[in-house]
Amino acid sequence: MAGESGGESNRTNAFVVSARKRTMQKVAKKAGESLLFTVASFVAVIVLFIFYFVARDAVPFFQIRGFTEFFTSSNWYPADDPGEFGALAIIYGSLMVTLGSALIAVPMGVAAAICLSDILPFSIRQYAKPIIEMLAAIPSVAFGFFALVVLAPLLQNNGGPMLMWAWWILVSPFMLLAVIVLSDLLTTKIIEPKRRQQLHIFLLILFSFLSIFLLFKVGTVLYGIQILTGTNALNVSIILSFMALPTIVSVSEDALQAVGRDIREGSYALGATRAETILKTVLPAGSSGILAAVILGIMRALGETMVVWMASGNSSQIPEPWFNYLQSIRTLTATIAGDMGEADQVTGSARFHVLFAMGLLLLVISFISNLISERIVVRQRKILSGQ
Amino acid sequence: MNIGTRKILDRSFTAVGIGSIVVMAIALMIVVVPIITNGIGAVFFTGTVEHRKMLFSEFKRGDSENLSSEVASSNRYRAKVYGMLTGFEAELETMAPEKKAEYQAKYSEVRAALQALLGPLPGDPEPMLTRFKYGQTRWEKAEEKLHDLLYESKWDNSNPEVMAKEYFVSRAIGFQGTSLVKLFPYVKDNFEEILLPEFTFYWGFITDSSVDSHFFGGIWPEIQGTFFLAIGAMLFAFPLGVVAAVYFTEYARPGFLNSMLRSANSTLAGVPSIVFGMFGLAFFINTLKVSESKSVIAGALTLAIMILPTIIRAAEEAILAVPKTYREASLSLGSTKWNTIATVILPAALPGIITGGIISLGRAAGETAPIIFTAAVSVGSAIGLADVLTSPTPALSWNIYNLASEHEAAAQIRHVQYGMVLALVSIVLMLNLSAIVLRARISKKLKG
Repeated sequence: MAGESGGESNRTNAFVVSARKRTMQKVAKKAGESLLFTVASFVAVIVLFIFYFVARDAVPFFQIRGFTEFFTSSNWYPADDPGEFGALAIIYGSLMVTLGSALIAVPMGVAAAICLSDILPFSIRQYAKPIIEMLAAIPSVAFGFFALVVLAPLLQNNGGPMLMWAWWILVSPFMLLAVIVLSDLLTTKIIEPKRRQQLHIFLLILFSFLSIFLLFKVGTVLYGIQILTGTNALNVSIILSFMALPTIVSVSEDALQAVGRDIREGSYALGATRAETILKTVLPAGSSGILAAVILGIMRALGETMVVWMASGNSSQIPEPWFNYLQSIRTLTATIAGDMGEADQVTGSARFHVLFAMGLLLLVISFISNLISERIVVRQRKILSGQ
Repeated sequence: MNIGTRKILDRSFTAVGIGSIVVMAIALMIVVVPIITNGIGAVFFTGTVEHRKMLFSEFKRGDSENLSSEVASSNRYRAKVYGMLTGFEAELETMAPEKKAEYQAKYSEVRAALQALLGPLPGDPEPMLTRFKYGQTRWEKAEEKLHDLLYESKWDNSNPEVMAKEYFVSRAIGFQGTSLVKLFPYVKDNFEEILLPEFTFYWGFITDSSVDSHFFGGIWPEIQGTFFLAIGAMLFAFPLGVVAAVYFTEYARPGFLNSMLRSANSTLAGVPSIVFGMFGLAFFINTLKVSESKSVIAGALTLAIMILPTIIRAAEEAILAVPKTYREASLSLGSTKWNTIATVILPAALPGIITGGIISLGRAAGETAPIIFTAAVSVGSAIGLADVLTSPTPALSWNIYNLASEHEAAAQIRHVQYGMVLALVSIVLMLNLSAIVLRARISKKLKG
């Protein structure tokens, strides 16, 4: 370039670059690029550091105490001398509240995601999205405070009636639906119209009575339940499900949006209703993305600290019977948060290192589930773009 | 299936979807509304003369003439109460020993209730803790204490099948036939004259330090600590995150290394917050020794690591949203790639990047778990900017936990806790709302 424009160098100054300057620029470009790369790889370095430093303090625990006690015993007496470090009940508590919150958050979250992606018109969706973002933005300690100060006394004082009302409000619409669908399904085989109608009405009445009986029977049982403590697994599960919902909704909405219009239109063209289209074509096509959303939401519940620390009751026990959500439990995160203050004075003791062992367990679980959900998303994107 | 049934199913499917969004909105309401209504009560409430006394002697605030006339008029009514007490004490001396012992126990309960209501009684030694130097400063608390004075709480254990029930017995019945029986109706009838309730706007709740572990005073040290931590975290994470996002969007070539870096980013986003706290303790404090023990800088660094993936993702999205034509126009004018990025792409993406930054700032302000082991203390005064490197700080998120779960009188300072939660939630929601508004404006602008 310098040779070509030599004659009129004054006018085209901006484009004339000497050979030396060019190499300088090249070097600068390489240097800049590698600097950018260094900063970007900082993230990977941090991840490695987190694994290293948590594992460094976790390994001594397993060297001192071995694996068996930690994973199989539920005697948690770290302050005793000699201490006992059985974390089974604590791990169980973590899994219990995670499962509980998933049971509430997954159906609601997927339904809300479907609603946002397929049902609501754009104008309403604009207002619904900020609601979900606000729910995600509320600090965990505010949720924890709500669980401890508002929800726990409510559950403790009016637990039975609240359970009964929740049962009636949540279940009766589905019961009604089940009655209608069941009586219809059972009569489709009969060809003679008059007999079919008679049988249909008979079944409707029969099932209605059955379902009302069931509603009242279970309702009265729930009404009689006395909740001894408001800080229990149910309380925590409800609040954690609020916290997992935004993640589940937004990630599964992305997955549903990624399923193309053509699939939906094909289904409509075959005469399917919207519900059938979504349930039979859109959901199966987006199922892996929804699975990824569920995994991410569950991880949020498993890794949450403040809510469980404040409102789970913090008693290291496996509830009696094992599915009793109305008893206090203790989780991994709450144990780390609560015991570190007493343990970090005596660095080197098993009491300090057991907390890092718990942290390592959480870290490994979150790492694996992240990898899985990432793989799922990548694969779904490949499949959908390949079609 | 019937066409009718299919239609019903379709409609109810829609209803379930809309219902779950409505439930989410209701959940948001149920959580936020009590926080707002009770939190406002920390600043706007009906204060008694005790509150104005406290403000004057602890913070040198208020009109001393006005206050002394109020105290004088309140004392006129209190003097009669104190007179009844001395009268009953004299009567006690004349009683038979067993009767005296019985009344003595009841009388000391009455005295304790009066102390809680009105502050130290004449003849009491000067209390050590500030919380006992004043009576009830808030009217609704004073009414609770009045109830404690008038009625004795008892527990009904007669039916072992159900939980014990609380019931109340009037204390006046216990003192039937003595001179003290007149005290109860007197206090009840002259309650307003004794405590002089008045609507109070206590703006000091935001700007004052706390007195006697949050019994009186405000939450300024916590607010300041939260700002230090969140802004400190942004100072580290924002530049790093934007630079990393530039690399990912402009320079990274697809390949093994790049996918590794991306995996690392999403792994970091998924790490439980408490693990960040452990890492901060093990790395920044125990290994790097950025400070002797907990400090603002260690907390800010830990929070910075936590919000880094969010910032990177938001910045990447903002950069990718810049229309391709901008880039092509700039390159066709002969500017270098770096020039294009610095002068065209980043300015165009800046509002989007800032939106991501604001959301991350809110997250850093609201997180508790990472700062438990690295930065937060429960009691402390506001620290200066120079102490950031060495000293820990109280912070809203941590102190909410501490006051609600570990404070020795958590139930008595609910209004302070609610006030703190409201302060934190409004900081975070305000940041998020501004981010939402900003984003709406950007998307309008990019559409043209």
